[in-house]
Amino acid sequence: MKKTLLVKKTVLDYTLKVRLPLTIFVILSSIVLTYFISRPERDGVGYGPTQPVNFSHKLHAGSMGIDCRYCHTGADKSRHAMIPSVSTCMNCHSVARKDRPEIIKLTKFYEDNKPIPWKRIHRVPDFVYFNHSVHVNRGIKCQTCHGQVQNMEVVAQMNTFVMSACLNCHRNAPQMLPYINNVKYGPQNCFACHR
Amino acid sequence: MNNSKNESSGKDYNYWRSLKELNNNPEAFDQKANEFMKGVTDDFEISGMSPVSRRKFLALLSASVAFAASSCTNYHSHGEIIPYNKKPEEVTPGIPNLYASTCTGCSNACGILIKTREGRPIKVDGNPDHPVNKGKICAIGQASVINLYDPNRLKTPVAISQEGNSSINWKTVDEGMIAELEKASSSGKQIAIISGRISSPSEKMVLDNFIAKYPTARVYSYELFENGVRNAAWNRSYAPGSFPLIQWDQAKVIVSLEGDFLANEGHAIENIQMFSKGRDGFLNKDFNRLYVVEATMTPTGMAADYRLRLKPDRQLDFVLSLMNEIGERTKSSIKAPSGTSSLKDFVKNENMLAGTVEHLVQDLIDNRGSAIVYAGSLLPEDVHVAVNALNEMLGNTRLYRTDQAEVLQIPFAQKQDLENLVGEMNKGNVQVIIHYDTNPIFDLPQDYGYADALKKVPFSIAMLEQENETSALCRYALPISHDFESWGDFNTRMGIFSLRQPVIYPLYSTRQKEAILLSWASGDSKFYKDTVYHDFIMNNWEKGLFASAKSPLDFRTFWLTALENGVVVLPENAPAPAGFKAASLSEIKPPSKAGRYTLYLKGNYSIGDGRYANNGFLQELPHPVTKVVWDNYAFISPKTAEEFGLEMNDMVEVKVGSRKQEFPVFIQPGTADGAVVVELGYGRRKAGEVGTGTGVNANILMSKDAPVTPFIYNDAQIRKASGAYKLVTTQEQHTIEDTRAKDAHKRRGIIREGTVDEYKKNPGFLEKEEREKISMNKNPEYLGVKWAMGIDLNKCVGCNACVTACDIENNVPVVGKEQVDKGRIMHWFRVDRYYSGTAEDPVSYTQPMLCQHCDTAPCENVCPVAATTHSPDGLNQMVYNRCVGTRYCSNNCPYKVRRFNFFNFRDHFADGYYLQEPVEMVYNPEVTVRSRGVMEKCTFCVQRIMQARENAIEENRELKGSDVQTACQQACPSEAIVFGDANDPDSIISKFRAHNLGYHVLVDLNTRPNITYLAKLRNIHPEV
Repeated sequence: MKKTLLVKKTVLDYTLKVRLPLTIFVILSSIVLTYFISRPERDGVGYGPTQPVNFSHKLHAGSMGIDCRYCHTGADKSRHAMIPSVSTCMNCHSVARKDRPEIIKLTKFYEDNKPIPWKRIHRVPDFVYFNHSVHVNRGIKCQTCHGQVQNMEVVAQMNTFVMSACLNCHRNAPQMLPYINNVKYGPQNCFACHR
Repeated sequence: MNNSKNESSGKDYNYWRSLKELNNNPEAFDQKANEFMKGVTDDFEISGMSPVSRRKFLALLSASVAFAASSCTNYHSHGEIIPYNKKPEEVTPGIPNLYASTCTGCSNACGILIKTREGRPIKVDGNPDHPVNKGKICAIGQASVINLYDPNRLKTPVAISQEGNSSINWKTVDEGMIAELEKASSSGKQIAIISGRISSPSEKMVLDNFIAKYPTARVYSYELFENGVRNAAWNRSYAPGSFPLIQWDQAKVIVSLEGDFLANEGHAIENIQMFSKGRDGFLNKDFNRLYVVEATMTPTGMAADYRLRLKPDRQLDFVLSLMNEIGERTKSSIKAPSGTSSLKDFVKNENMLAGTVEHLVQDLIDNRGSAIVYAGSLLPEDVHVAVNALNEMLGNTRLYRTDQAEVLQIPFAQKQDLENLVGEMNKGNVQVIIHYDTNPIFDLPQDYGYADALKKVPFSIAMLEQENETSALCRYALPISHDFESWGDFNTRMGIFSLRQPVIYPLYSTRQKEAILLSWASGDSKFYKDTVYHDFIMNNWEKGLFASAKSPLDFRTFWLTALENGVVVLPENAPAPAGFKAASLSEIKPPSKAGRYTLYLKGNYSIGDGRYANNGFLQELPHPVTKVVWDNYAFISPKTAEEFGLEMNDMVEVKVGSRKQEFPVFIQPGTADGAVVVELGYGRRKAGEVGTGTGVNANILMSKDAPVTPFIYNDAQIRKASGAYKLVTTQEQHTIEDTRAKDAHKRRGIIREGTVDEYKKNPGFLEKEEREKISMNKNPEYLGVKWAMGIDLNKCVGCNACVTACDIENNVPVVGKEQVDKGRIMHWFRVDRYYSGTAEDPVSYTQPMLCQHCDTAPCENVCPVAATTHSPDGLNQMVYNRCVGTRYCSNNCPYKVRRFNFFNFRDHFADGYYLQEPVEMVYNPEVTVRSRGVMEKCTFCVQRIMQARENAIEENRELKGSDVQTACQQACPSEAIVFGDANDPDSIISKFRAHNLGYHVLVDLNTRPNITYLAKLRNIHPEV
């Protein structure tokens, strides 16, 4: 009677003292690990979907060295950098490389008077009033947030676009943007982005 | 009795907002003690809630979670970005475009700038280049953008029959109509066009073309409210032509007899601008002096230095006896007609304030040549003739403007014309009737018998934006384009030609009304195309205006410049005034025998003659005096109410002749005893889902054969009717004080005032609380720009333009009458109205109240989730996505300027009326559309601040305070609101803050508010 009790107590003891904490630790640590490891993935880093027209930034911005603002005309004027309209592409492609399959696709969009449904990659939530022009006009390079787009065959997201990422730069502007002289700190108040 | 004596010592006064408060009714205090009105949650009905049980709800929830999880395969997808195919050159997404145009909300034709974003009109403001309205427009103009997107707009031509309406196409309309018109004109039967005021030269030419093609056509132009009587009187006193405009800014003394020139008479926006120049507390110590003699409190009466109560049918006697008195004292050659009672007797009989009348007479005499007497346009012609004579007698004609004069393209139809028309209709001599955007069934007095006559017209057409009472009786309803979808040119002032251009392609299958007539006038059913009226105007301008302008430009450049500016000004002067005809005075008929009670019908302040009834933003605009929303009612004086045992919200029956109507009662302080005043335009039977059935139709009390005027009946009978009606007023909502003391307003210095005389003698008369108080908060420091606002209470006339501008700019929702009743009106900007003195002759004050952006804001400390915080440029920030809706902030706000979204009001109001297509197109994309459960409040238009900051960065310069204009400031016609950088010592706002008259509200709470008010000064005679 006594013995069995003792045995049972030991098993219970063992379960309570070793197995349970161990199980809880494993579960918790796997949750925490999964959370942090998958964080960038969940925030969209690396997301690079196939686009309706196989446009290469590497060719246009990289090899040919076209300025970003030639197509993204809103970047230094407006809140939106703007995806160029089909007519912008046709400035060159009504003449250049008319025989390539992707250009034929492009021309078809243009002639049918249909917009190209580009897949959206970079996105901040609706309650954020991000403004491209204030950043671009302060001399911040597009690559600081968007990565080395001029080397990308298919554009993918390179950084997270969450509030902590914004604030990280706003709080540490001189470190984050060493290429701008006398850079000011970004505003850190709510109304700067939310209204 | 001698109230003026008390008035001048205004300091002894308490302030009150309603009679309940004045009489220390405990209800009023109870209401004040609670942030959210008592009992608003009591009516929570279980039966009205969702029938889904908790168990079922959980089951559905888990099923939907499982479903959502299963579709999570591509959670990265952010959707698509759809750029233009061919981007229009002038459009940059995110940057608004402004187009100059003309507002046709009323016949004043103000120049406007329409703000469009990505092609959608989202906001309207005045065009600063327009020489008449100078960048300002009224509340109706501000709200007109909602009409463009109104879901109830007529979308296609409709054939109306007993069995129901059916859509038809324009081709059928054009073919059928032209055949019908040709038939009518060849058989010699009349074609009647019932139009409103024609203010456009090209439109007049369209009508001329139409008549040339169909010679039996006749145009009947009428408006419910117009200036016709003024012009007729001018004709009698001087010569034919229009009554001259007045230089309000030059007047030292203004006597307004039932003339609401600061609110809904004449060009109110221009009047306010000129009037407030004479009452600039910031710059001047010399004020004009305004006397108002009126039946019930109006915005003009609220702005008055001295106010007298008088029934409108007694105005004629008053003017004549005034002439008598002044004539005697000045030994004038112009004499009042014999038999006029002496002023003394009149004042005694009417129980007027003798001291005030004495001041009035003396001021008029002392300021001969720089005073003006002005009579309201609803008063009889004889009053105007007498007023013309009085002004002539005092030499006040000097104040008539010679630089500008009104232009009327087509004279208004007279009573005789309309009677003839109805006669012809009844005889079957009218084959076709075209209602050219008018609603005579609702507007015209019933005894014309128009409705019955209309049934006898074989072919009746209504051209309109929304179906109305008239279209219901017509055979066809044709949809016309909104202002913003139409071309047009307007000329309401000599030499000023204002252009209207479309800023959006017609949303539906509509055509602008001028183009419809023009294509019918061509006789060719295939004539119509989109640009037909544009080409017509351009052609007219090339031949007419361009030729006379002698411009050095070629026509195309001239035309494009005119379009860009919105207005062309040619040097044209008003005709020189003709000699005064003294004989006109002898034609004045003595007024008919008056009964004890007078019914006075007048215009309202928000929905025009009823045509804006379906605009929720205007319906929910609190009345400038009573603060009632969504209704009209009978104003009666406290004494008359007592006489009939009437209480607030009782019903009263008003009977004139054989016509009677019941109205809810509003006991209005300052109403003349025996007067019943009702506002017209309400009670529409067919005005869309929002407007139908709001208020009571008072138009049916009008008669074409009225003894005085169609608006004044001095033989009214009134009696108490059974039943009750709930009027909803915001006057006791969001009250600031919480102390259960009668003089809380005064003790806390919410309204501060003085007299001009006092101010001249001692500019620093306003005691300022300068003592430094201990504060729990850290005193924040503002190193860069610090935003602050100043409001000059001397200039504010309570016109509500700011409120509507704020609503449209900041996506403020309409909540509906029953929600306003629960204290849930969402306006960020309210205009508080206070009275002081007695209920019979109160003095009134208006005070715009909005978030004060306190340096040490009480709301910020109590938010458990830090959703409201302070920014380094002095703004009290409200972050919606962080707010969890505890409402602590609102509870702790002493100014009661925070508003909570108890519902998603767009969904909740009128079964989601404003959730339908295409209303969402009106939202300002720079401002979040708030949903249920979050708190909101004035942001000082942070979106405009950010836009200015963006521009400054783009131009590589520092942001200046003057770069930003808030929506309310931009709208304010009297420029009472200033805004800017308080840290800039040269800015107007920092001078405002240091001004002798400047004060802050509730300064004793140490909230350090950032809105500086300039104390109200009354220009009254010093105490004897």
